[in-house]
Amino acid sequence: MSESVPIVRGGDPSATASQLPGPFPVGVYAGRLRAQLRGFTRVQLTGEVFGFSRSRVRIYFELRDAQGAIQCSMWRDEFEALAVPLTDGLEVVVGGGCDYYVGNATSSPSFHFAVAELRIAGEGDLLAELARRRRRLLQDGLFEPQQRLARPSLPHTIGVVCGEHSKARDDILAGLRRRGWQGRLVWAFAPVQDRRAAPAIAAALRELAACGEIEVVIVARGGGSLADLYAFCDEALCRTVALLRVPVISSVGHHTDHTLIDDVAAVCCSTPTHAAEVAVPLDVTAARVRLAGDARRLRDHGHRALVVRARTLAALSRAPAQQLDRQRRRLHQLTRELRAGSRRQLQRSDAAVDGAARALARVSVRGAGADAGARRRDLERLALALGAHDPQRTLSRGYALVTDRDGLALGSADAARASRSLTLRFHDGAVDAEVPER
Amino acid sequence: MSGDEPAPARTYESAVARVEEIIRRLDSGDAGLRETLDLVAEGRGLVEYCAGELEAVSQGLQELRLDELVARLEAR
Repeated sequence: MSESVPIVRGGDPSATASQLPGPFPVGVYAGRLRAQLRGFTRVQLTGEVFGFSRSRVRIYFELRDAQGAIQCSMWRDEFEALAVPLTDGLEVVVGGGCDYYVGNATSSPSFHFAVAELRIAGEGDLLAELARRRRRLLQDGLFEPQQRLARPSLPHTIGVVCGEHSKARDDILAGLRRRGWQGRLVWAFAPVQDRRAAPAIAAALRELAACGEIEVVIVARGGGSLADLYAFCDEALCRTVALLRVPVISSVGHHTDHTLIDDVAAVCCSTPTHAAEVAVPLDVTAARVRLAGDARRLRDHGHRALVVRARTLAALSRAPAQQLDRQRRRLHQLTRELRAGSRRQLQRSDAAVDGAARALARVSVRGAGADAGARRRDLERLALALGAHDPQRTLSRGYALVTDRDGLALGSADAARASRSLTLRFHDGAVDAEVPER
Repeated sequence: MSGDEPAPARTYESAVARVEEIIRRLDSGDAGLRETLDLVAEGRGLVEYCAGELEAVSQGLQELRLDELVARLEAR
């Protein structure tokens, strides 16, 4: 082996030689690499089987998880002795170490993990892996972003990721019916079990969020074993959910199951029905009744504010008219009282005149004596003078006394015209009369 | 708080909360005529908004697949 051969770069003979050791024949180097790799500690690995195939003497598959993958191979006779039904998507635990096929002039080299032991991952293995993934998500702060998103109480459009013919689909519809919600439901059907599930669910979620109209997404699947639900523990899926800008409500498995997507979702529900009710927190039927009540109360307040004040204003505007009306009634009352008082006074005067005449007559009889004749004459004169003032005498001479219907004397044509209804008293009786309108 | 800060988006629950606040104020009887009329007008606007929101989810359930929605959006 030559210790040092100058490398000519770009055909330039003046270029300086590399300071690296070599060049070595590649086969020698490949052999040393294989020895080095085989010297690595033998370990167990766990992951999902992908690209399982068989050749005449060996089987091949990739072991994958969210962080990486490694090519694995196993002697076929050893594999068949295990009788493990290996299929893509299966979570397995393999034991072995690194190896390197150095290739030759006609075949390509390849790296692989040489599997000496292989078993299907048990629940303990899955739980241990789940705990590791959960720790990583927690360390990256991916449990909170979804919980910080605001969720509408009355979404118009809801996205749902579930199996196309799953019972979860019917349960979600039942939950939405219970809320009285009849908006727009966008179904993103996806496989919910096996190795295709997690990428398909993640893609569906990304597409729903990209639509821009979806306000909340439900991811739902019925119950199953941890292995059945393991797609919902996929780290890449969970990272997608955590960073989505649309709130995700998860309902995976039964209430005793807890998958990784439950940790990163905005809300985790025990059943798809419950998830639907959480997606629409508002009972639409009850909200409609309540809103109608609020609208009625507002209308009543508006009505009262105007009508009550309008009534008060109207009452105030009527006040001057009412005051005038009161004064008018009072005036009429006083007028009636005045007329009645005048009538009574007249009657009292008549009675007084009659009494005086009678007294004079009695005195004239008692006073008959020496100068009885003179006194009688005086008395007769006085009686005549008094009689001259008796209205009845005036009436006897053909005059008439004009009064209104209440008996109040009317002393002028104006008073008669004002009264309109008159009584004409003659010496022998009274006659009612009307003053015609002009 | 900056004057340029946008007002928070109106939501059904925020509108209902404001309507109830308005009704409490009106029920108290402390509001004068001008305030009453202003509050009633604001309340009516909010009730109309809420009624529209309820109407939007009361027209019958509309189901469609994601690819149908995507096609509709692309057709716009």
